[in-house]
Amino acid sequence: MRRVGEGHSRLLLIILIVTALFLITLDLRGVGVLEGARQGTQTALSPFQKAGSVVINPIKNFFSDVTHLGRTRNEIEKLRLDNAKLRANLINRKNADAQLGQLKSILNLAGIAQYKVINARVISQGSSQSFSQTITIDAGSNAGIKKNMTVLSENGIAGVVKDVYPSTALISLATDPSFNIGVRIAGSQQIGILSGRGNRSAGLQLIDNLTNVKVGDVLLSRGSIANRPFVPGVPVGYVTAVDNSAGSIAQSATVHLYTNFATLGVVAVVVGAPVNNPGDALVPAKPEPTPVPTVTIYITPSPTPTN
Amino acid sequence: MMTRQISTALPIFLIIYVIQEAVLNQFRLPGGGFSLLLIFTLVWAVLSSPEIAAFSGFTAGLLMDLSGSSSGPIGQWTLLMVAACYAVSYFGSGNESLYGNPLGFTLFTTSAVFFIELAYVVTGALLGVQSGSFAQILITIFGISLWSLVATPIFLPFFSRLHALVFNTRSAI
Repeated sequence: MRRVGEGHSRLLLIILIVTALFLITLDLRGVGVLEGARQGTQTALSPFQKAGSVVINPIKNFFSDVTHLGRTRNEIEKLRLDNAKLRANLINRKNADAQLGQLKSILNLAGIAQYKVINARVISQGSSQSFSQTITIDAGSNAGIKKNMTVLSENGIAGVVKDVYPSTALISLATDPSFNIGVRIAGSQQIGILSGRGNRSAGLQLIDNLTNVKVGDVLLSRGSIANRPFVPGVPVGYVTAVDNSAGSIAQSATVHLYTNFATLGVVAVVVGAPVNNPGDALVPAKPEPTPVPTVTIYITPSPTPTN
Repeated sequence: MMTRQISTALPIFLIIYVIQEAVLNQFRLPGGGFSLLLIFTLVWAVLSSPEIAAFSGFTAGLLMDLSGSSSGPIGQWTLLMVAACYAVSYFGSGNESLYGNPLGFTLFTTSAVFFIELAYVVTGALLGVQSGSFAQILITIFGISLWSLVATPIFLPFFSRLHALVFNTRSAI
């Protein structure tokens, strides 16, 4: 083990630590220079991220396939069948068609609610070392995107614009622990606050304790003042569990988010909200149950011989 | 001498940072993945004197703070990396049991990654940064540590040779 006796070494350490503390203080006080430095870095990195996205996509798809092997046998069998069908139909255009599908769904969603949107491709996932859930998209302030705009996926809310750079934007996903959104229950119109938990399951805290929330209730975004950060009426998720513990100040529930964040390839940023609130128009249709054929067998007992 | 070595090392840190941001961040690995820059800086710090290690930690920490996906204030990673790199260099530099032992070196680096991530959560909580639920934090910290345990031996020979090249020393790992 090395003995550090020199005062020179300690002095250097103190200077560097004081500099770091100085930077933290400046940033927490909102000094614009530091935010500018972060923006400048992101602007400089965006061409590399775009190039990386193009090169890495096939490898990423391979890793994605490998990491999802821990599912049940039935799901794997079903996926194998689906995969075989897909491979037959979409040999060389798998990636492009998937993105096109997402885009169509997003445009459909935006069209019903009359949102004015800007579509963008996801070019980078945020690093998990900082415990945040973010993505970077290939459209920025040059395309008209501003901070605190709603970001949609094909199924509903994906997140909110956290930072904007000239040709890219950083999106804070709905799964991010710092993500909070005002929601209302479709139908009953009861309101609450939904918070990200780091995965696809989010926490819902209802404002009114007398509210009766039940499993399966669909949640829509409530909308913000001047429609930023959130436009109204965007599907967020559905309730999977309700916490009815006695003594709690407000009722809480667990919500499954509609957006599949693992497969986000294309998103849309809402740059213009509709004049009228779309209300419950965007509530996703419940999946129709597949009819199970019933087989009725009639058995006529044969007469027992009597002696 | 030290200035020349630092100025030679700076572009290497930048290249590793760009690789991390443009390539490795494209993958969403289960459990959080690993940070190449973090592993590189720690390996660099163990092989260097405490002064060089502290400078390396400062540079890497500042780069990590400037990343768009960093949730904390600018300076948080810098502070942690300066302290961590100085500490690993103090305990690791010249330690013969580490230099001739790649397994020990890997475990030492991985432990450092674990404690740095833990310190990031703790300091983040003090600074008001939301890091998610306890379970999620635990999964991420252990995930990043495990990935680091896998990645470190792969990159260690390369990083060690790079260090030897910059500092004109003999690579011992």
